This record gives sequence, C-alpha cells and structure tokens, in this order.
Amino acid sequence: MGPEVSLSKRNNVLYCVIAILLLCILLFPLYWMFVTSIKTEKEIFQIPPTFWPEVLNLKSYAAQLKSGDFNMFQSFGNSLIISIGAMVIAVILAVPASYGIAKYHFKGRKSVVLVFLVTQMLPVSVLLTPLFIMFKNLHLYNTVWSAILADATIGIPFSVLILRNYFASIPKEMEEAAYIDGCNKFTAFMRVLIPIAKPGVIVCAIFSFLYAWGDLAYGMTFIIDQQKRPITAGIFNFMGQYGTKWSYLSAFAIVTIIPVALIFIFMQKYIITGMTSGAVKG
Amino acid sequence: MNRVKKFFKYDNVGIFFVLPALLYMIIFVGYPIISNFILSFQDVTVKTLLSDVKEFVGLRNYIELFKQDNILTTSLWNTLIFTVACLVFQFIIGFALAVFFNKKFAISKPIRGLLMMPWMIPITVTGLIFKFMFGTDVGIINYFLKGLGLITENIDWLTNTATAMPAVIFANIWIGIPFNMILISTGLSTIPTELYESASIDGANKFQAFRKITLPLLRPTIESVLILGFIYTFKVYDLVYVMTSGGPVNSTQMLSTYSYKLSFEMFKYSKGAAVANILFVILFFVSLFYLKFTYSQEEA
Repeated sequence: MGPEVSLSKRNNVLYCVIAILLLCILLFPLYWMFVTSIKTEKEIFQIPPTFWPEVLNLKSYAAQLKSGDFNMFQSFGNSLIISIGAMVIAVILAVPASYGIAKYHFKGRKSVVLVFLVTQMLPVSVLLTPLFIMFKNLHLYNTVWSAILADATIGIPFSVLILRNYFASIPKEMEEAAYIDGCNKFTAFMRVLIPIAKPGVIVCAIFSFLYAWGDLAYGMTFIIDQQKRPITAGIFNFMGQYGTKWSYLSAFAIVTIIPVALIFIFMQKYIITGMTSGAVKG
Repeated sequence: MNRVKKFFKYDNVGIFFVLPALLYMIIFVGYPIISNFILSFQDVTVKTLLSDVKEFVGLRNYIELFKQDNILTTSLWNTLIFTVACLVFQFIIGFALAVFFNKKFAISKPIRGLLMMPWMIPITVTGLIFKFMFGTDVGIINYFLKGLGLITENIDWLTNTATAMPAVIFANIWIGIPFNMILISTGLSTIPTELYESASIDGANKFQAFRKITLPLLRPTIESVLILGFIYTFKVYDLVYVMTSGGPVNSTQMLSTYSYKLSFEMFKYSKGAAVANILFVILFFVSLFYLKFTYSQEEA
C-alpha cells in the first residue's frame, strides 16, 4: 500500500498488463469516436458493430472542406482566435497581479486573494444574462470579442492563484541582486522574475487556452452567426439539426480534440502541475 | 518615521500590479453578479431587456418559482442526486487508480498520464461521445450489455425518464475520475515510505497500514478533493445540456440548465436569473466553507 514500493519482476509484468487493460477500458470512448469518424454512415449502424472499419471512409472529414451550413474548419479557426485571445488577456493581466500579491503586503491583499478564489467557483449561469445585456449595449454581441472577454474571466483567477506560488518561491535576494545590477522595479520584474516563473506562465497559458477551447455556454449565448461561432457551439447546433449524422459528428469531435491532444502530448508535465497545484476543474 | 513611510510606499506599489486584473474581474464578474441579483427582483422580458426602465417586483420571481411549478424543486433534487452519485463513484474509482498507479512498475507514470485525457477534452465533445454510446439502436453500450446477457431489449437510455439520469451520471464520472486520481496520487506521494516500513516491522498488515497510516495522513487531501468535487459537479452545465438538454420531462434538469432554459429559450430573464442566484448562493456557502477549511489547514 505504501508509496514507491519496488516490485518483483513477476509483479511488474502483472501490473503492466493490468495498467494497459485499465487504459483500454477508460479510453475506449475516445477510440470509439475515432473509429466511428472513419466509417461509412451505413457501417456505423451495422449490427454487430465493427471495431475497425471494413471500408475506410475519410469523406466525413473531406466533406467539411466544402462550405455547408456548418463549416468545421472555419469554426475551428474561430475557436483558435477566441482561445488565444482569452489566453493572452489572462496571462497579461495575471502575471503582474500574481507578482503584486506574492511580493507586496499591501492593504487588502487577503481580500483580493479571496476575490480570485471565489470567482473560480462561480457557475456560468450567474454571469450569462448580465454579460448578454452588457455585450449588447457595448455592441460586442455576436462578435468573437464577447466570447474572448467572457472566457478570460475563467483563466485570470486560475492563473493568478497558480503564479502567486511561483513568485512567492523566488528568494528576495534574487530581486535585490537585479537592483544592484542596475535594474529598476519594472526591468527587474521583466528580465529576472518572469524568466524564473516561466514554467508557471506556461501552465497558466495552457489552462487559459483549454478553458476557452472547451467553453460552450458563452460561445453559444453571445455569438449567434454560425460563421462566427466557436467549434463547440457549432457542433451543438449541428446536433440539433442533424442529430443522427454520427459520421460527421464524430469527425467534428476528433477535430475538436486535436489541439488538446497536441498540448497533451508536448506539455504533459505542465498539465499535471496545473491540475495539482491549482486543484481546479473547469 | 521615515522608514515607516518608505515601507508603506513600497508595499503600496503592489496594488498597481494587481489593479488591472482586479478591474477586469470587477467589470466582467463583480458587476454581473450584482446586476443578476437586481435582475431577479425585476420583471424583465425581451421588450424591457435593454431599456433602462424595468419593473420592480420584489421577491415575486422566487415565490412563483417555489410555489407555482415544481421544476425548481425537481432541478434542485436532480442536481443534488447527480452531484452525490458522481462524487461517490469518481472518488472511489479515482482513489483505487491512484493507489494502483502509485506502485512503481515500468509504465506506471506514462499510463497514468494518458488517463488524464478524459478530463482535458472539451465537455461538449464528451457529451457527444456519450450521447452516441448511449444511443438506443446505434449505441455500443446496449450492444455490450446484450452481449453480457444483462438485457435482452435495447434500452432507450437518454429518452427514458428512468434511465437518462444514470446515463448522464456515468458520463460525468468518466470526466471526474482523472481529477480525483491525480489529486489523491499527489497526496499519496507525500506520505513517507519509512512509515510503512516501520509499521510492517511492528507486525501491521497491509489493511492495517492503510487504515492507520494512509487514511489519516490523506485526510486533508480527501476532504479538499470532495469539497472541490462538489463545487465543480454542482454547477454542471455543458454535459447535461449536450446529452439531454435537461429532458426527458425534466428528469435530468439541473439548476444550471433550468436557469438557461428560462432565460434563453423561454426568455423569462428574471426567473432564469433567480434560479442562477439560488445556484450561486448554495455554491458560495460551500466555497466559503472550503476556504475556511483550507485556511485553517495552512495555519495548522
């Protein structure tokens, strides 16, 4: 039961086999979606189901290149713009804020931390109608800006709280050494502190991106035109209209997962850091 | 005096670093929360939504929600049942997986990493996947259950009032397992190995060691996993909206989906705001409880 206990050779093999079995069971839904996306519509409804397509069909992907009522690649691009926009806002605002909280004991600091902690736990429902009215008045309704501005509210508190720990762990001497070398407060922050906190900044950027990428409520409520909507809202719309066109739907699902999978493959260690130090679920 | 002045000045600089982020949150979160409360005491329709003059009706929206229809009570119950069921299963499975992957075998780390996937993919996609898998004729779940001899007729999971909730819970557990697993794994890795070694020298068996060492030392982790899990599960929205939209006949209607339906499908903005506020108040108190709890731990 203890942590990090070494195992005998036989047990090692046994555990590896069990682990792979667990992996296959738990990730089966993802595999199933992928296989469905490369089957023909007819084969999808076939009984018994096939676990690898008899006829390889890439038309579900190719059909999206022609513009229909739902252009998957355009929606994908919209999602990218929205997610990168929200990520940039979150990082630019959170980096100095977390530095201020970690390094300066100003009045009301604890309340500020509390504000960020509580906003993290907010349900979107509370913000939807007021933001809807606000964006209409500001003429941001039905533009990507509405989703960008709303999605950043998820990334900011998360990023502030994570980065606060990174900045707090940097010893004061390091900052003082920078002053001796002729830096002022601002240049010390830019040239010394930010580079040290870089892994933390990456974690924040990734999570702010992922939160925005996964958003449905904001994108669906604030953007009405199908051509401007993020891919999640586009899929939801498509489901409403052609509920059982599973070949297309599964292809949309796979395309939506691609950026997440790429981030996952190349930046896994940052994701685990983010999940454990922030203890946050979207 | 001079030093006091200097100290004060130095620390005050911090506010300027925080101010932009704080202002952003006040504009796009703080102000909406307040205006949502005001909205819930008014009677706002499509006509009056953007005008400055809105009729004040006091508590009428809340009273009507509680008195006239029972959908609010249904949603409240559904949300609670959904949350508790998800928490129990994802915690037990997540805990078991954490203990398993804590063993040092060749591929434990990479496989545990791969198991994070369900937590990361957009919930809209997860909803789509499970809607497909729980399909009546096309769904693989019915096929598996038939193969195992558990059912003879296909179950219409998402269109039947009795089975829609279990199906939605099942999908959410799939998302929640990695979250529970990784947090408990981190907790487990902080327990020093020596404790188990000395326990086994003292003649304790594995079960005793688990009960007397693992569980007590893991208590803070377990408590925060459960409270955070409660908060995040209670505000579930996307998954249910994609899989069932709260149906059939409100059998999976949650506070969040009901609020959305009232505001953006029935255009009863004020009633929708009132339901959102009920959800908000519940979560706010749970969050305060959580914060008090973590602060007292930090001090201890």
